[in-house]
Amino acid sequence: MSYSLTTLWHDRQRFLPGVLAVAFSALLIALQCGLLLGLFSITSIPVDHTRADVWVSAPEVLSVDLGRPIQEGSAVALVAMQPEVARTEIYMQGFAYWSKPRHGGTELCMVVGSRLGDDYLGTVDFLTADLRARLMEHGTIVVDESEKDRLGITGVGDYAEISGVQARVVGLVKGVKSLAGPYVFCSLYSAADFLRLRGEVTTYVLAKCHDPSQAASLVGRLNASNTVQAFTKDEFSFRSRMHWLTKTKAGIALGYAAALGLLVGAVVTSQTLYAAVAAQMREYAVLRALGIPRWRMALSVLAQSFWVGLIGVCVALPASFALAEVADQLGVQVQLPAKLLAAAVAITMVMAIGAGLTALRSLRLVEPAMLLR
Amino acid sequence: MLEETVLAAPTLRGRHLCRTFGDGETQATALFDVSLDLYPGQISLLMGPSGSGKSTLLAILSGLLHPTGGQVLALGEDLWKMSDRKRERFRLKHCGFIFQGYNLFPALNARQQLEMVLRWGEGASARQARARAAEVLTLLGLGKKMHLHPAEMSGGEKQRVAIGRALIKNPNFLFCDEPTSALDWAHGEQVIELLRNASHERGATVLVVAHDARIIPYVDRVFYLEDGSMREPEAALQAARQSETPSRLPGAY
Repeated sequence: MSYSLTTLWHDRQRFLPGVLAVAFSALLIALQCGLLLGLFSITSIPVDHTRADVWVSAPEVLSVDLGRPIQEGSAVALVAMQPEVARTEIYMQGFAYWSKPRHGGTELCMVVGSRLGDDYLGTVDFLTADLRARLMEHGTIVVDESEKDRLGITGVGDYAEISGVQARVVGLVKGVKSLAGPYVFCSLYSAADFLRLRGEVTTYVLAKCHDPSQAASLVGRLNASNTVQAFTKDEFSFRSRMHWLTKTKAGIALGYAAALGLLVGAVVTSQTLYAAVAAQMREYAVLRALGIPRWRMALSVLAQSFWVGLIGVCVALPASFALAEVADQLGVQVQLPAKLLAAAVAITMVMAIGAGLTALRSLRLVEPAMLLR
Repeated sequence: MLEETVLAAPTLRGRHLCRTFGDGETQATALFDVSLDLYPGQISLLMGPSGSGKSTLLAILSGLLHPTGGQVLALGEDLWKMSDRKRERFRLKHCGFIFQGYNLFPALNARQQLEMVLRWGEGASARQARARAAEVLTLLGLGKKMHLHPAEMSGGEKQRVAIGRALIKNPNFLFCDEPTSALDWAHGEQVIELLRNASHERGATVLVVAHDARIIPYVDRVFYLEDGSMREPEAALQAARQSETPSRLPGAY
């Protein structure tokens, strides 16, 4: 075991605040980012829960919920003629005004209209066969049960108006939260009415490739046409999340909170390491008298900061998973993908070693002559 | 023994050493025109009352404190004309130190305290450092206590570990500042014996700064410092006669 690690274990009470500060920083970064990822994954639900390999939209579409009308015939023809494409399908999504049936008032809602058969590309996977069968009837809709109050309805059988068109609730789903407006699922024909899409227009053309690995080359070729914009499923999902993350300035709030957590962690860790060196000033002074160079001791302090960081991160990771689980039980989604955790670990380790670097100033005070009385 | 070693060339020479602290009206002179020669294979004792400049002289001779005047020749090289880095390397290669407080790392056991010097100083491998540390501790009678931490050792044992830390490099010079003052005489005597062995058997040049006149019978030479100046050894004898245990003084002095 290295001298740094031996010292860390021997003086564990002294190092505990540093370890906890590092753990706190890592936990804060992971949970803050995970919370935002969870929050903004709501915007890409339709992309993530359907089976299309490629999404084709009007040019410059920023997010899946901000689609604009495109000519259905020409867009479908353009996509269908590509050699990689096995199937195409139209899909509609957009904001509409919802008029509450009781007490009046309006609410913005997000209409999602798709084909409803078993293996269609645009059918969201949480609509059961039974619900899809009920949606075949024109003007019927399915909403999330947690949105009933917001939409001013009591449950299945209620009527409301979307863009002045009557809509009947025929079913409820669970766990499809919304951000800007509650999701309203319906057939393509109902959606065309709710979104007032007249004539041969749609908002998206979806495509399935013969082989999903062909999606990127298909996207490249479609984008070269300049009449439409195409994305792979993953690209469009990421683009939708990032649009809302940056548009709402939530990223800035995240940055501040994470920076604050890092600052607290850095200061506490630095002070812990400083105090640890200061407590052994005389021992270090003997080593200096014996001619051991200062950089060798600095390396030892940096090794201590590395171990403090590593132990802190090891505490933070399981704690992050536990708290994410608690959040999930409370109905808040926290996503902790491996890339996010790796980034949180890397940032925290850099912070811990940076704190070690600032603690090196304590070694400047080490003077062998102080040992002579 | 004394005759034989005095004939050898001195390994450490202090020439007209001066040291002042502060400046202007607050200036104080700690050393004034002090010269001395130290020889290999000899243990020398530097005595004097508190504030006489003993520790300052030891610090200057050992390369820890810059003199304001004079010259220190160690193994023929002018110590204070070297760059800081070169002097640090000189200390690393040639100097061992023992201080009054044991100054052992609380987290490390006896063996690790010694290993650290070799690993950090010479870049020795873990295996080499371990073997040499075990060898030195066994010679110091701590063979069965290598695994103990400072908190588990007596004062005498801790000072022996500190001596081991100073000796593990097999230094040419061993500088000891009040090495026995924190120990009872039985343990202090053991420590002085070990230092005597280091000089007589290993050929090291050993300089001990101490108050305790009971050490005199164990050393080869005595220097007496008073008010920053060197006095005749008779002064040391006189001082020793006034100490608590005059019966142990050697007739030669």
